Order: sequence, then structure tokens, then C-alpha cells
Amino acid sequence: MTIDSWIPIGLESQIQPASSNPVIVEGRSIAVWRGDDGPVSVWEDRCPHRGMPLSMGFVRGNTLHCIYHGWGYASDGHCTNIPAHPDLQPPKTICANSYPSRSRYGIVWTNFSEAQLSPLPDVGVEDGWTSIRSIYLSKSAEKASEDILKLNFGFAADTKTAGKNALSIQVGPDLELLLAIQPIDAAKTGVHVVAKGPAVATAAGRLKLARGLEHHRNKMEAS
Amino acid sequence: MTAIVDTAVWNEWIACGWVGQIAAGASHVTTVLGQKIRITCVDENSYEIVALTDDQTAGRRLPAKARFCCIFTSLGDPTRDLPLIPEFEESDRKIGCCGGIGIRTSPYRIIENFIDMAHFSFVHTDLLGLSDKTEVLTYRTEHRADVDEIWAIDCMYVQPLRSKAVNDVEGGKRESHMTTRDYRIMSPFSVMLYRATDSDPTRSHAICVFVQPVSETECLAYMTFAYLVPGSSVSNLVDFQQAVFLQDRVILENQRPALLPLDPTYELPTKADASSIAFRRWLKRKNIRYGTYEKQAG
Repeated sequence: MTIDSWIPIGLESQIQPASSNPVIVEGRSIAVWRGDDGPVSVWEDRCPHRGMPLSMGFVRGNTLHCIYHGWGYASDGHCTNIPAHPDLQPPKTICANSYPSRSRYGIVWTNFSEAQLSPLPDVGVEDGWTSIRSIYLSKSAEKASEDILKLNFGFAADTKTAGKNALSIQVGPDLELLLAIQPIDAAKTGVHVVAKGPAVATAAGRLKLARGLEHHRNKMEAS
Repeated sequence: MTAIVDTAVWNEWIACGWVGQIAAGASHVTTVLGQKIRITCVDENSYEIVALTDDQTAGRRLPAKARFCCIFTSLGDPTRDLPLIPEFEESDRKIGCCGGIGIRTSPYRIIENFIDMAHFSFVHTDLLGLSDKTEVLTYRTEHRADVDEIWAIDCMYVQPLRSKAVNDVEGGKRESHMTTRDYRIMSPFSVMLYRATDSDPTRSHAICVFVQPVSETECLAYMTFAYLVPGSSVSNLVDFQQAVFLQDRVILENQRPALLPLDPTYELPTKADASSIAFRRWLKRKNIRYGTYEKQAG
């Protein structure tokens, strides 16, 4: 039974147009891809034809093609093209296994449960967030969350949880952080960070925060 | 963990090396179906093979045959001889072996890739296929009960007439032609193709792949051939086949699961996969579980 929760899989800005990317979430291999100008899709990383990872595929327009036999899939998952049979309309049953994909606060979220009744994490208005960087930790998501709660940002920090996989931290008057926590497997965790406030209004401010996160990451890895 | 090996698999002839790999008087240790064996080359075409026990001492003697440029053994009692491939006896052919290529996947994935034409245009662009000629025409498949082999007959595909380099030198014209071949699966671990030649309608090139399953998801593949190409050298042919094989290796090492699913709803075939469908059904009828994905589901 899969728990109904929205799991972050990366910063939306990291998913380049016309690219397909391998991501591991809770031990599952997924392909996160987008077309030239389409939305981000989150699929099982396996072509339903012969088991090739779709993250190794190539994008033409808004179609993802498997590298092995060139089968083309539209962003809704349906196979639209089988090159071995150019005149054949592929049956509707040939479909990549897709998961929901939602963008909020500049972060892409997915949900593996059938129900998907839980709401997306909510830390207020959607606008105004700036993507900072992702960091990766060699520890479980639980341990990573505990470590993040102990971080010293140099200001009194007010931390709230936003659903199972996100922490919102108000750092002094000028900076609000959202840390979205991606469980990769039992010993690996990704943390995707977006921010808002005067402290990240300039490129220099964003760079300073990104470097600060790198520093925190190194300390958490050592702990 | 040692995998359970089905009787049908245990009694097969299995390639375990290639002729020329082991110098006369020398020995080589390798693994077949999880069992360590030692091959000793007595002289050019004569080998002795023994199973090794856990402490590396020689155990029981195993059968050994050198044929089609490969060395074959069996851990059980083979119920039939090696297949007949008389092309390897014909003196006007270029006969060679590409050595053993390590590939981490199920042996059956390697066989299936070899009988698959639909990937030529994508994986072997300008070597075995053209990016704008991707159609696989209808072909026949049959199970030949008398020899218990799977055949795919009259398989046609548009292929480059010459290598891309030659075409580029001659003005970039991509000359292509429709080629015809038959595929023949002689055992779960051996496959070959007969490719029609332009010069003589009565004779075909013969190209084989013999797979050594080291474990369920780790193999050595030996490609051997008996080509009818007076103008080419064996070493050029080996180079070409190795280039093709290394392109396949990238695909094969990344397919998931590595074990071959036999459930046709888990990996969805199309008409071009008729030979793969016949192969998977045949494995299922033989009740082969070694190297297949089905047992995980069941």
C-alpha cells in the first residue's frame, strides 16, 4: 500500500526543455521529461515494449521516443508512433505508466498512491519563490529532516512542516526557505530548496544562500 | 545466492569459450550457470573440461566439444547433439569469432536482441539500418518440432548498401537495399541468422551468437560467422561485428528488469516482435524459469 503523499522530485528549473532525466524516488526509477514547450511529465522509467529506460530516450517536439525501437509517446503517456509499422495507429492499451506531476513553488511533485486525495504542500501564495539549488545527503529522509531542524542559519528560525515532505523556515525578517525533501532510498535524500524575501532579491543574495546550503550540506554529511 | 537451474537448461550444450582463447597445454577457469569449470586445451581442437568444487579442486568430468569457433560443454546430460551448421565446414567462407563479450543481462535478452530487426534504424543507424527506413515487413515464424527450434522466415529490412564512411566518401549518397534473412534459434542460448547474398541465391552468410550464462543476469556472448565475402578480411568482419555488438551492449545492460519477462502483458509486443513472441512462448512451454522474470511474480 503506497502512502498518499506528494513527494518532491526536483526543481522545475532543473528540468530542461526537450530532455528526459532519470530520478529515483523511494527506490522507484522514474523518468522526468518535458517536450520543447510542454509540461513536466513523471513516468515509470521503463518503456512498456521491451523494458528500456525512457530516461535514455530522445525528445522530438513534445514526444518522447524510446532509444531502442523509437516508439513515440505523447505527454499523456499514450504511444503515438511505432516506427516498425509506420501505418499502424498504436492501440490505446500501449501506454507508459505515468504518475501525476504538479508544479508548485518551483518544485515538481508526484504521488504514487492510487487515491491522490491529499492536498499539495501549502506554504501560502504560489508566487514569489526563487529556485536556489538542490543538495543531496547520504542519509535517510527522516535523518535528513532531523539534521535540517538543527541547522543554525544565524537568525532565530521559525520552522513549520508543510506536509510529510517539506519544511518551511522563516530565517530572520528577510528570508523564507522551503526545503522539499525527496526520499531517494533508505540511505539517500535529495533536498530541493526555493526561497523568497529581500535576501534573495539579487543574484548575489541567491549565490550567497546557495553557498550557505552547500556549507550546511557538508556539515550534515559529516555529522 | 545460487539460482535453481531447470533440467532443460542444465542439459543444454553451452558455449564456455572460443577456439584460440586458450593456448595448447594451458587452462582457463570460467563459470557456467553458476558452476565454476576449468577448461584445458589439450591441442588445437581438443579440450578437457572439469567442474570445480568450492575449494577449487577438480570434480566431475564434463563433456567438451569445439565447433563453430567455440568451445561447448554441458553440466547435465545433453538430450541432443549440437546443431548442424555445415556452413562452418565450407572452405570458401570467411570464418571467424569476435571473442567473448561480457554483457550483464539475461541470456534470453541477448538472443531476443539478435533476432530483432526493429532496432536497426535506432541503435545501429547507418550500420544496419537507416533512420528514415524503419518498417519491419510481415515475416513468418515457426516452431520446427523435429529439431525443437524456433525459426523466423523471410525477414526483410532496408539496410545500407555500404558503410556510412564509404557512402560519405562517394558523395554522401546513402544507398540502401532491401535485405532478406532467416533467423534460427537452436537453443535458449544459441541463435543464428542466414542472410541472403547478392551474388549467389543458393547460399547465405551464416552469423551465430552463442551465449554463456555465467549467472541469470551475467553472460558472455560469442559471435561467430561464416561469411561469403571474398573481398573482406576476417579481421575487418570482426571489427564490424564488434562495433555493432557494442552498440547493442549499451541497450542490453540497461533493460529492466534484466531477467526476461514471459508475461505478454508486462512487456507489450507488436507485429514486428512475432519472433520474440514465439521465443518467449517456447521458453514458457519448456517451463524454463532460470533467467526469466516470471518466477518473481509467481
